[in-house]
Amino acid sequence: MSIKFLEPSDFPEAAASLAEHGDEAKIIAGGVSVTLMLQQKLIAPPVLVSLGRIAGGDSIRQSSDGLHIGALAKLRNLEQSSVVQEWCPALAHAFRVVGNVRVRNQATIGGNLSAADYAADPPAMLIALGASAQVFGPDGKREVPLGEFFLGFYTTALRPTEILTGIIVPPLPTSARASYHKFSSISAEGRPCLAVGAVADFDADGRCRDLQIAIGAAVETPQRVDTAEAMARGESLTDELIAAIAEEYAQALDPLTDVRGSAWYRREMIRVFVGRVLKEVRDGNR
Amino acid sequence: MILIVNGGSYQVQGGARTLLEVLRDDLGLMGTKEGCGVGMCGACTVLVDGRPFSSCHLLAAQAAGKEIVTIEGLQRNGNLHPVQQAFLEHGAFQCAYCTPGFVLMTVALLAENPSPEDDEIREYLSGNLCRCGSYQNIVEAVKAARRK
Amino acid sequence: MAIGRSVPMLDAPARVTGTVDYMINLRLPDMLVGKVVRSQSPHAKLLKVDVSQALHVPGVVAILTGPDLGANALYGASIKDQAVVALDRVRYVGEPIAAIAAESMDAAEEAAMLLDIEYEELPAVFDALEAVQTGAPILHEKYTDNIFIHSKLRHSDMETAFAEADEIFEDVFTSPLAQQSSLEPHVTAARWEGDHLTVWTGSQAPFMVRRVLSEILGIPQESVRIIVPPLGGAYGGKGHIRIEPLVAVMARKTGGRPVKFVLSRAEEFVTVTKHAASITLKTGVKRDGTFTARQVTIYWNGGAYADASPLLVPQGMVRSVGPYRIPAVRVDSYGIYTNLPPAGAYRGAMSSQATWAYESQMDIIARRMGWDPLEFRLKNLYVSGDRFATGETLHDVHFIECLQAAAGAMPAGPSPEVNKEKKVGRGYGVMMKSTVSTSKSQARVKLDDSGVATLFTSTVEMGQGAHTAMAQITAGALDIPFEQVRVVGPDTSVTPFDSTTSASRSTNMMGNAVLAAGAAMKRRLIDLAGPLLEIPGEELRAEGGRVLTKDASISYADILKRNGLPSLEELGEYSTALTMDPETGQGISTPHWHQGAGAAEVEVDTETGKITILRYAAASFAGRVVNPRLAQLQNDGNVIFGLGPALMEEMALDGGQVTNPNLADYPIPSIRDVPLELISVCIESEEGELHGIGEMTLPPVAPAIANAVEDAVGVRIKDLPITAEKVLHALQERLKP
Repeated sequence: MSIKFLEPSDFPEAAASLAEHGDEAKIIAGGVSVTLMLQQKLIAPPVLVSLGRIAGGDSIRQSSDGLHIGALAKLRNLEQSSVVQEWCPALAHAFRVVGNVRVRNQATIGGNLSAADYAADPPAMLIALGASAQVFGPDGKREVPLGEFFLGFYTTALRPTEILTGIIVPPLPTSARASYHKFSSISAEGRPCLAVGAVADFDADGRCRDLQIAIGAAVETPQRVDTAEAMARGESLTDELIAAIAEEYAQALDPLTDVRGSAWYRREMIRVFVGRVLKEVRDGNR
Repeated sequence: MILIVNGGSYQVQGGARTLLEVLRDDLGLMGTKEGCGVGMCGACTVLVDGRPFSSCHLLAAQAAGKEIVTIEGLQRNGNLHPVQQAFLEHGAFQCAYCTPGFVLMTVALLAENPSPEDDEIREYLSGNLCRCGSYQNIVEAVKAARRK
Repeated sequence: MAIGRSVPMLDAPARVTGTVDYMINLRLPDMLVGKVVRSQSPHAKLLKVDVSQALHVPGVVAILTGPDLGANALYGASIKDQAVVALDRVRYVGEPIAAIAAESMDAAEEAAMLLDIEYEELPAVFDALEAVQTGAPILHEKYTDNIFIHSKLRHSDMETAFAEADEIFEDVFTSPLAQQSSLEPHVTAARWEGDHLTVWTGSQAPFMVRRVLSEILGIPQESVRIIVPPLGGAYGGKGHIRIEPLVAVMARKTGGRPVKFVLSRAEEFVTVTKHAASITLKTGVKRDGTFTARQVTIYWNGGAYADASPLLVPQGMVRSVGPYRIPAVRVDSYGIYTNLPPAGAYRGAMSSQATWAYESQMDIIARRMGWDPLEFRLKNLYVSGDRFATGETLHDVHFIECLQAAAGAMPAGPSPEVNKEKKVGRGYGVMMKSTVSTSKSQARVKLDDSGVATLFTSTVEMGQGAHTAMAQITAGALDIPFEQVRVVGPDTSVTPFDSTTSASRSTNMMGNAVLAAGAAMKRRLIDLAGPLLEIPGEELRAEGGRVLTKDASISYADILKRNGLPSLEELGEYSTALTMDPETGQGISTPHWHQGAGAAEVEVDTETGKITILRYAAASFAGRVVNPRLAQLQNDGNVIFGLGPALMEEMALDGGQVTNPNLADYPIPSIRDVPLELISVCIESEEGELHGIGEMTLPPVAPAIANAVEDAVGVRIKDLPITAEKVLHALQERLKP
């Protein structure tokens, strides 16, 4: 099957190609999802717009307004980046537990987020960190908070002619701690049954100033529960409060059933792991 | 498009074809094989610029111009690569369908981390499946190779 | 001495350089690629299969459908109920309806989409227990209750025996549908030259394939040649005829061009499976710790076609009794039709499901009676001289040794108490498995005048090191260096008969055939050497590659040269033909018994139900070990393989469709699933006979883990796989008031 493989050198050129070819074009970043869909005959686009040669598309840099990650940054580079590790070890960990080394060498963060596979790891941690997606389209640039980026199974807020160009992770106060946990219910390998990412900021007395917890892989789109997070504000994270927050998460969310666990089991795991991750955040390091 | 494989340059048609298909069907390099088609098993592992990739979900077009190494590219003058030698000495295989993948992963691991701890070895190789269950001997082989 | 040495596999360099010629690499001149078109319905009348549009696709050479099939369209290992491609009915999602031979896979796939197929849906049934109920959909008219085979074992009077029991236990254990998942899929190629057919295939039983193909095609067996290269794994999934009939018949339409079919991973799941099974064990025990009776009822879900089940279900009957002295035994082993893909052998065939049942019940009994699970086993395990439930006397059995070896590898001290803090527990499993009762192996040894011996064998190399072991046995039989032995085969035009490479029979049976050939060769050499040395034969012996006596000797090579013989050949044969009464199962079920045991120490996370295997010790009786390293690899490999059915392998179904036909959603054990400590012991017997080791340590894995889980947290899981969810659910149920 012949296919036209375009390699634009910047995002505006890429967006222009997308606009020009319309339905006939599909973006390919790392190529993991796209290649699998091509192989399984789920898609057959005559044109592939590759983002592989976009200059600076994979940059990872710290700035005063946050951690800037280019959408084309490979998961493996993110996992091993000293910039990311310093910024937030839990975030580096969330990248590290994805799939296996080979997948991470190829998959990009942009591709990972755009695919909106519910059983993914990075989204939950990024949402807990308050990250936003930078999008480029025919109408110019816009930013979408990641909490609003995922609309449903394999569906994002990206319009057909838009491209995810990067992620910005806002600065974390030095008093904040984060933790990420991927729970695999069956084999040690494979996709998660549940993903929990948490970020908590503490005041000098050890009381929680702010808390964000995002759940992924157990629900259709990664989610936070505002009411549960609010319970922590101004409070000490005692075991009892942690249990109550975990219970609130378990009740508020509507988990799904798949080969890795039933909705019932996932609800139980949400309770268990929100609790465990909060204790890690409370007791551990960044 | 040009693929650079095991030090040689080859003109191939890409299209929607995976690197795995091109290596096997066009270049006759049969050591790289499909086991699962979804990147889970590692039987299709190749090195691209020294890093391991699943060639079953990599388009050949994406590897154009990069240095690709397959299992066939490890030997030098008919001599086994030290990792291959370690696998042989430790009987780190049974049906050996998965072996080229494990060998290449080990080469990549040791290039990145010449003295990995046992748990680092297992983590790096965690995405390679061996249905025959030769994992114990594989780990021993990697440990032996890391001392070389 | 070659036997007993850990020599590397004969083709080890090829294995580490990726140059083994697996079926998937086969290329033939002018070769076409093949694609199977499969049923989307679990049960339907096939009203129409119109290929007219598909034939017009450029690159398509031929399409095979039901009307192309001749008189012998139906085949089967025993019950001929399966069509090469569907005739007028389909009985499972994935059943082949048509086959396409084309110049490229793109052309074949395009053509596949243009086939016009019409179904008239019929009610379907997927559960074996439902399938035997009145009113269930009938798959094959002749079997109105969907039971296509019922194997019976009757030993002694059950009523009296149960009356003598102080306690009776009745439990149901289930195993789900699973898949062998060899990394190399099923691959077959065929080419006709006039009336002669050559088939290259990844099969464990080339002569069985030859026989069945000759029946289907209506040609003599000698006109069919089966060639089998080294396999990328098989584990029973390639143990019976699979896609060979389809490929052979397809190849008849390609004008002599060879055609090769490579199944995708998803297709593997609809080609052969492991029987889902429901096993009811009713067991009577006395307070003195002995058994009085056991009644076993097994429903094997055979899928839509009998396939290999008529061979396996009787074996399952024998393998379901267990290794304990039980005076009265009754087994009813049923093979049942359902609208699922056909089931076949899966490593540890039938023992996997059976051991899960009887070893799990051992602990249920022990706990209720207040007995130590280890002591209860040791007290009742068979010893040599005991009689089994078939009436046969057991010889060379070492169950106690196996269990003690496994248990002995565990940390000393009493089991931890079951409480909230310590969630560690220990469990055991012991397996008793028959091998094939009636089979034959022939081996031909050819010695040439350079002293090199070539073994012609139809034993299949599938990673177990069979060819290496056979070469070692050949070297040992002739008393020549291992390095002077070559192995050729399987190729049915070249290598002599062998029934099959399965059921761990080859080391023993082909090994004995090789020994016989070697002994015959030695006698022949002595006969030829006698006149040359001018010494009577009785005073000569063959040793170290020479025929000699105290004062004179001559090398094998010189014996041939001086006789003007370029080579010598001798055939050796070993066979068993054991029978059991069809109504009672009394007789002899196996030439010898396979024995294995396992001990597991696990930790259970009581909040998630997740199990971590801290330590696992596996012991098997290996008889006279040919290659210690390969034996250890088999032992280890079996334990790791066994973690799959124990903890993770389960085919998910929706309306008869497999919804997880890939290795991401159907996980198989990875390097990080391996127990933190894995110990393996092969119990040897130097004077003993050559013994199989291909499956022994696998079946005990699942019950040992379940028993350890009960020891740790007091919950009993009776349905495989033992998932964290099931454990958590059971924990919560147990805490309910």
